[in-house]
Amino acid sequence: MSDRAPWDSPAVDDLAELRELILGAERRRLQELERRLDAAGLTREELAELLPEAIVLRAGRDRQLARALAPTVENAIGESVRRNPRQIATAIFPVLGPAIRKAIADALAGLVASINSALEHSVSPRGLRWRLEAWRTGVPFAQIVLKHALVYRVEQVFLIHAETGLLLSHAWTPELPPSDPDLVSGMLTAIRDFVADSFARDGDAGGLRRFTVGELTVMVEQGPQAVLAAVVRGQAPDALLGKLQDILERVHLEYADALAGFEGDTTPFEPARPLLEECLATVISTDREKGRVRPAAWLPWVAAAVLVLALLAGLRFRSEQRWQRAVELLESEPGIVLTQAERSGGRWSFAGLRDPLAPEPAALLASVGADTSEVSATWEPYLSLRPELVLARARRSLSLPSTVSLEQVDDTLRLRGSAPLGWLAATARQASLPAGVAALDLRRVEPIVPPELASMEREIEGRRVLFDIGVAAVRPEERAEVAEVAATFARLRARAAEIGVRAGLELVGRTDPSGADSTNRALSRSRAEAVLAALVARGVARDAIHLTAAGTTDPLAAADPAERARINRSVSFVVSLGWDGTGREPAR
Amino acid sequence: MIQKKVCMVGLFGTGKTSLVQRFVTSLFSDRYLSTVGVKIDRKPVELDGSSVTLVLWDLAGRDSHEDITTSYLRGAHAILYVADGTRRETCDQLPELRQLTRDAAGDVPMVLALNKVDLRDRWALERGDEEALEKEWDIVRTSAKTGDGVEEAFRRIARGTLVAREARS
Repeated sequence: MSDRAPWDSPAVDDLAELRELILGAERRRLQELERRLDAAGLTREELAELLPEAIVLRAGRDRQLARALAPTVENAIGESVRRNPRQIATAIFPVLGPAIRKAIADALAGLVASINSALEHSVSPRGLRWRLEAWRTGVPFAQIVLKHALVYRVEQVFLIHAETGLLLSHAWTPELPPSDPDLVSGMLTAIRDFVADSFARDGDAGGLRRFTVGELTVMVEQGPQAVLAAVVRGQAPDALLGKLQDILERVHLEYADALAGFEGDTTPFEPARPLLEECLATVISTDREKGRVRPAAWLPWVAAAVLVLALLAGLRFRSEQRWQRAVELLESEPGIVLTQAERSGGRWSFAGLRDPLAPEPAALLASVGADTSEVSATWEPYLSLRPELVLARARRSLSLPSTVSLEQVDDTLRLRGSAPLGWLAATARQASLPAGVAALDLRRVEPIVPPELASMEREIEGRRVLFDIGVAAVRPEERAEVAEVAATFARLRARAAEIGVRAGLELVGRTDPSGADSTNRALSRSRAEAVLAALVARGVARDAIHLTAAGTTDPLAAADPAERARINRSVSFVVSLGWDGTGREPAR
Repeated sequence: MIQKKVCMVGLFGTGKTSLVQRFVTSLFSDRYLSTVGVKIDRKPVELDGSSVTLVLWDLAGRDSHEDITTSYLRGAHAILYVADGTRRETCDQLPELRQLTRDAAGDVPMVLALNKVDLRDRWALERGDEEALEKEWDIVRTSAKTGDGVEEAFRRIARGTLVAREARS
């Protein structure tokens, strides 16, 4: 091996050279791979260190990283939502809530505005007038509305940088050059801050969006970086708010960079002015009505008018009903004949006939709710033959006791019940009958005999004058009995005469059953005549006495035959109290 | 056109409002200060051939910096502090005032107007105090009465905002 060393040395170099020639490229690739392998193994920790910086570096250079990451991030979010939606929901809630609220609030405001204008145009008196005009002239309603369309003029539009309050751009109507819009812009921002600080404590409530100063309304639309404010003279239409929103969104889109990097240089915003001027161009109308009545103002009037009309109609209806009822009542009332009924200007007038016994017409009218002070009436007196009235009249003229009832049968007045004897006698004697009555029928009235008369009557009728067998002469011992009867009857007669009653005395002669009937009848008559003579001798008026020869036909009753025979050999007494022309006896 | 929002802050009685009164274009009355708490004026400044319009937000300052409505500071491009040289407490409040404005408006150029320089004989600040202030503040000594230093203060503000803008862009 040692003898080969001398050429070995140069041979090594050659070999290396040869190796380099043949394998050089591969070897370098191997080394590179080796280095990369080493690097990969080393930098897991280092990578963690470097990754954030690397991302920042690359993101600053171009959008490649974002593009590369986008699908992964989207997938990751999708996966996260699929697995646990709550997490994402919680994370974005603070952003989502206000955004949704604002969207809903804006949508509602728009809705309310369109409802307002629809209402205003359709139900207002002006709207109706316009419809009439459209119908009359044949011009479409929309054009009529446009012709009269409510007047407003957007005088100025400010585009204001939200954070600094600096004026970015400003447009105004040529005839009204504004003064110091930059100061106004600042102050407007300050005032909005002031209002938000003072009242809207819950953070981002959108700030002061609309305020009115006399004829002027300032409408403000707030964006994240800029604010658009329009100064409107007259009735600011709510549609303008939508226009402002639209323009503000376009400003944010077109001037996104200029807004983000705003440092006080307003030059980049100069091209935005035509955009603002669009708002100015929306305006117009010159024939604005003076003293235009807003719905809020006229609605109560209309409501009041409707109410009043309804009330009047109601009152009229009630008055009509009252009138009808009054007329019906008067017509149906017995004793009243309505010949004329008129109504004018709230005054009622009536004319006709009235029975004095008919109810007072004013009282009848008052009972249906009529104002009797507004009623005039002329009533001629007459006598009604309606049964109610006849009866009423009779009741009045006869001084009818409450125990007697009346009924009318044709032209006869029939009385029923019971009445004092004196009243019956007086009524029977009464010469004049109530109007409409030809006769009185008192037969069904039970007389009430005064107690004094009744007791005397009982006393007389309890007595009897007894006779001896076959004899018609009054026994001496019976004379006292006759005297008693004569005295009592005289008293009774005088007492009855006081109340207009004529008292009569019937003497009933009887015999015992023995003997022939004809003999007995004659005997009974003789006995009655004997008592009559005795009574007349004692001063009893002959014409008050009536004789009855009963014989044996109507015997007095007794259990024992001897006693019966004894008491029937007698004359007994029956008192009659005559109170009417018929001479009818009162019931016993 | 370049506009800058400049907030003026300072305690009540530092002469803040009267300091600028003669130099600015006003539209609103001083009443706004006591009602809304801010009054806005305009001050155009010519600077090395370019013109800047300063929109001055004069913030009502009462007895303490806590009375300031901080939302008015939002977005300010510069702050002009006003202190009264004859009242020491108006200078003592400055650090708190600065903190307040930094919280609301960020790190923006600041100029301190040390006002009432016409009343030097009643000056309440020692030389040492002023030197200490100089280290931290860009100070302009002003007088509302004579007008001294006011234009200079505005120019410095304007320059500050322009420099800050270039630095940021």
